[in-house]
Amino acid sequence: MDYVRHIIKKFDHDVGCATLPTAVVVIDVIGWRRNTVSVKKSRRQVINGLSMTALALTFGRQFAYAAASNDKIVLGAILPLTGIASLVGNEDRRAMEFAVDEVNKKGGLAGHPVEFIFEDNQAKPDQSILAFNNLTSMHDTPLIFSAMSGPCLAMAPLATRKKVVLINAGAQADALTTASPYLFNTLPTVSDESNILAKYLVGQGMSKAAILFENSAAGINGRDSFIDAFPKAGGTIVASEPSQFGATDFRPPLLKLAAANPDVVLSTVTAGHLQLAQQYRQLDLKMPLAGTTLLYNTLLLADPASNGLIYTQIHIEAPADLNAAYKARFNEDMTLFGKQYYNASQMAFTAIRDLLAANKPITGENIREDIVHRKVFENLVKLTFNNNTATTQVDIKMMKDGVGVLIKSMD
Amino acid sequence: MLLSQLLINGLVTGCILGLIAISWALIYSTAGIFHVAHAGIYTLGGYLAWSLVTHGVPTLPAFIIAIAICALVGAAIQTQLYNRLADRQATPLVILVASLGTLAIIQNTIAMIYTTNILQFPLGWNRAVIGIANNSIRLSYPQILTLFAGAALCLGTICFTRYTGLGKRIRAVANNPFLADITRLRPRQTYTYVMAIASGMVGLCGILVSLDFGLQPYNGVLPLMTATVAVFAGGIGSTLGAFAVALILSVLENLALLVMPGEWGVAIAFGIFIVFMLFLPTGLSSLYSRR
Repeated sequence: MDYVRHIIKKFDHDVGCATLPTAVVVIDVIGWRRNTVSVKKSRRQVINGLSMTALALTFGRQFAYAAASNDKIVLGAILPLTGIASLVGNEDRRAMEFAVDEVNKKGGLAGHPVEFIFEDNQAKPDQSILAFNNLTSMHDTPLIFSAMSGPCLAMAPLATRKKVVLINAGAQADALTTASPYLFNTLPTVSDESNILAKYLVGQGMSKAAILFENSAAGINGRDSFIDAFPKAGGTIVASEPSQFGATDFRPPLLKLAAANPDVVLSTVTAGHLQLAQQYRQLDLKMPLAGTTLLYNTLLLADPASNGLIYTQIHIEAPADLNAAYKARFNEDMTLFGKQYYNASQMAFTAIRDLLAANKPITGENIREDIVHRKVFENLVKLTFNNNTATTQVDIKMMKDGVGVLIKSMD
Repeated sequence: MLLSQLLINGLVTGCILGLIAISWALIYSTAGIFHVAHAGIYTLGGYLAWSLVTHGVPTLPAFIIAIAICALVGAAIQTQLYNRLADRQATPLVILVASLGTLAIIQNTIAMIYTTNILQFPLGWNRAVIGIANNSIRLSYPQILTLFAGAALCLGTICFTRYTGLGKRIRAVANNPFLADITRLRPRQTYTYVMAIASGMVGLCGILVSLDFGLQPYNGVLPLMTATVAVFAGGIGSTLGAFAVALILSVLENLALLVMPGEWGVAIAFGIFIVFMLFLPTGLSSLYSRR
């Protein structure tokens, strides 16, 4: 029976018309028509049956939601739960679990409990495609949360084709802004942050920069953004050197960059941050190491090697009571990316609530439409969607003794 | 500063590659197996040591136990896999595929147990640094250990194969396994000893690298590939040759940074190999003729 329900629900999702009660009534009528052959029902019964069918077709959707108010709303999340980016991926997951439990304790979304199905992509685009197909085919998820630029860019064409909303709250490659009309980014791009960081650093007299970039989609995009932003801010790029994705020997490129005598070394490395900072200290490089949100991770922040590291970060704060509840459950404060994904979950809940209130089916197409029309989502931070990428406030911070100390806030 | 520091970094990396090359060459020249699973033992060494250290075993005993386990695993691969395949007249290609399978099993088991996260040894001293020549060269403790271990094990292997009974037996089996069998040198037993010794050596390499750069389950293949280049280019059966080429390759890869971007580092190593094979093909061809 569940399978039949699934098929009918999928039909409703794809075609956007009849729902479960409609189908049941139609099946009843067909059954009755078969019976007429042998039992010969009266004309009145035929008229009654047809009337019921017409009613069901007209109000089927409303009946459906009334009848299935306890139906679970299943959403997906494709995150790096293992692998070199798993630290952040698991922070995202914990925050999303926290958000979904919170909403379910309050009765769900208009009576519908919410479930997140998590898939591990190991930060790999190919694994992300498999996970995407699994979530959309097996679980019929209208919305999927994602992270990391490479995986998001790989899934974007699929999202367009299958009309499934992708919400990215962690990746920042510029290409994400135009990758798909179904992909929404809740944080600014690398270029936006690079411009802010370049302006600040040049303003502080650090006009000569060297770039350590990771040979990956996000890393190369970050390098290009700095190459564009630094001269615009009045500075110059004196050298750039690559490191391979997943490599943890940063000494050779760091040495070469240091030889160019920069005032600051900019990093677009997305993995192995701790090893990078430790080797930076071991080589006794005096110029500061700086980067965008890509450079942030909690393991690095907790290590003394991170002292003095300058970085930009999306301004997002969790209220004290929320953070306390989170800490009571996970024995840690809500991290930057934890807040991002908690906020993104709330954004998705808001859009779904809108659809339920308007008695619209929860499809990717309708969720997308709601986000585009609503534009503004306010939870931990105000997100304004003038296009597919939200605008929000960015802070400049310095890592010191395990804490990110605010230096300056910029819009 | 840049030149000297790059040079010393190249020497440190070269020592690791040299040790991998020597240990792999021991297996290849003696048992004739293209032992790809050696990369898995390399990774296993680091993870075993990490597990023991994190469970409170003092550092030195932990490293010795890890090396011993690596040696046992290597011996088990020889006796339970390669010997059985040899009994069934398996071709070298089948044995290579079996070795690749073993590598996949080791790596994926490690990834399942420890996850693919980058792990770090919870030791303080492995992050300490010594500055020499007015601080123009800075070496971490694991780097210094690697330099000493590389030199000592290279010399030790040369002395072992030349002057000890087992070493001479290994060379005899490597030169002519049929004659060795007739003269009751028990080639099969010798292969197991070789596999155990080589696996212990590569396990130590895995520990030294992990002390400096952390642990990842899939990090063994690239060093092994570079090491095999050194073995072929240096000449099969030549311990010093393989070690020297590994050092040269690594130093060149590092010094190349002075004149070109870092993306070209690996390409340089393999470019040198191609040049070697074009102009000095005897090493490789003599291998095939021996098989």
